[in-house]
Amino acid sequence: MTDGLGALMTIFTEFYYWITVVLMFLIHVGFCMYEVGASRYKHHQHTLMKNTMLIPLVTVTWFFFGWWIYWAFPTGPGLAPSIMNESAALITDESLFSAKWYVATSNLMAVNLGDHISGVFWAAFLLFSWTAASIVSGAIIERITTFAFGILAIAIGSVFWTIDAAWGWHFDGWMLKLLGYHDAYASGVIHAVAGGFALGVLAVLGARIGKFSSSGEPRNIGPRNPWFVAIGLFLIYTGFWGFYAACNIPIFDLGPEYGMEGVTFYTATSIYVTPTTLSGITFNFLMSLSGGLLAGYWVSKGDPFWTYSGGLAGIITASAGNDLYHPLQAMMIAAFGTWCAYKLHYWVERRFKIDDAVGAVAVHGYAGVVGLVICGFVLWGYPSSGYSVGSMWVGTDYAPINPLGMIIGAIIMFGVLGFLPGYIIAKILHGAGKLRIPREVELAGLDYNILEQARKDERATS
Amino acid sequence: MAQVTDWIKHLTTDVDSATEGVQVADIYPMVGTEWMWLTVAIIFWLWFHVATGAGEAEEHQKLARKRPSANDYKKNITEW
Repeated sequence: MTDGLGALMTIFTEFYYWITVVLMFLIHVGFCMYEVGASRYKHHQHTLMKNTMLIPLVTVTWFFFGWWIYWAFPTGPGLAPSIMNESAALITDESLFSAKWYVATSNLMAVNLGDHISGVFWAAFLLFSWTAASIVSGAIIERITTFAFGILAIAIGSVFWTIDAAWGWHFDGWMLKLLGYHDAYASGVIHAVAGGFALGVLAVLGARIGKFSSSGEPRNIGPRNPWFVAIGLFLIYTGFWGFYAACNIPIFDLGPEYGMEGVTFYTATSIYVTPTTLSGITFNFLMSLSGGLLAGYWVSKGDPFWTYSGGLAGIITASAGNDLYHPLQAMMIAAFGTWCAYKLHYWVERRFKIDDAVGAVAVHGYAGVVGLVICGFVLWGYPSSGYSVGSMWVGTDYAPINPLGMIIGAIIMFGVLGFLPGYIIAKILHGAGKLRIPREVELAGLDYNILEQARKDERATS
Repeated sequence: MAQVTDWIKHLTTDVDSATEGVQVADIYPMVGTEWMWLTVAIIFWLWFHVATGAGEAEEHQKLARKRPSANDYKKNITEW
């Protein structure tokens, strides 16, 4: 870098994404506390370690192939041509944003004096991957093997969410072009897909012993430590600030980017390179959090677990359109999504005997789907991309945001890339006898041996 | 081994190379051996799954044979 202003912009962008990564780390700290708080005493340590070990497993596989998938798959392949090379094949050519540069052996995937962005951008997406896997982790506590969870975490964290990000988040994604898909802060791209995946796994895994009575009535297995749950959710809220910031591009001159001669317009943009402001999304983040908290408190009659979860569900519902909504719209959309998530959680639990231990499918999956559908109506007609706007199904043009496209998008996120892979992989693991811990171990507690050894140590030292 | 032995020389080389359209910017050691490191890393990753998966299954089988009751763990709660 030899130009001072250019260097300042580059270093600012590098530092911006780096800060988002640090903030998003708190999401994982929060998820760990939340899960341990929700699990029973005899399962605490294994619950903690299960969620902790997704960090290295998703990280290394994200380095090996996850990041490559994101850059290779925007065209489908075969569904819509790239605006970079006009081919609908995997993007592995010499073009600027090709997956070729992000194979694990590339010199851009290392300390490189000519590149200040790849590492921090890779890491920001990696933290999204951890979140996707961690959402699944909470739903299935106290009965899954750590081995099976490791496989499932890699599947959602380094494969399926990154495919949906390539399709629905990448500026060249086919879902933007053909469907007018818009999901600025990942209602679907992270939350619906992870919620759907968790539901698919739960359908095979089954409920915790004792969750349902012999007549099929669900029983409440309340959090062992509500304070851990509360602090965990506060940390997730905190980390979400980084999540929102990471979904933006901090500074971009849209004039030349859009091909407008003589126009200079520096702004923050959404991930779709459409203009927004960090200030504006701060309004919306806080108002959607508030809408969710209000609805959660009301619908659960003041239950702390659902009130906190309601705040999260509120943000998730409004996230798809929070780059453009008015704060009051964000608040009311959040409240409605939270109400839907709560009602759907208990309906699915009773109807299908699904034991979602922390309400992850509801808070992330159902709220995410509701958010996508609402976004299709409220933002109907807005461009899904800044590059070119056309009608649906015409290839390299980008369809505008519309309800039908967003409903199809929600089905793809929750069902096609979420539920189906989760169900199929869980079935395979179940068939191999690797999915669920033995009944005797579940009853005794995953930590039985650790507790027994600790007791022996105590006796020996006293 | 060392990719850089003289920073001044290295940075000067970078500037000259850039004008010819070539970036010489990777400064990690043993440039060109990335495939070897990737192969080793993938083997380590796969081995981790096999080894820890087998260990977990063995631990579960041992505990299942002991058949502790659902409340036996309470006898092992320490006062630490």
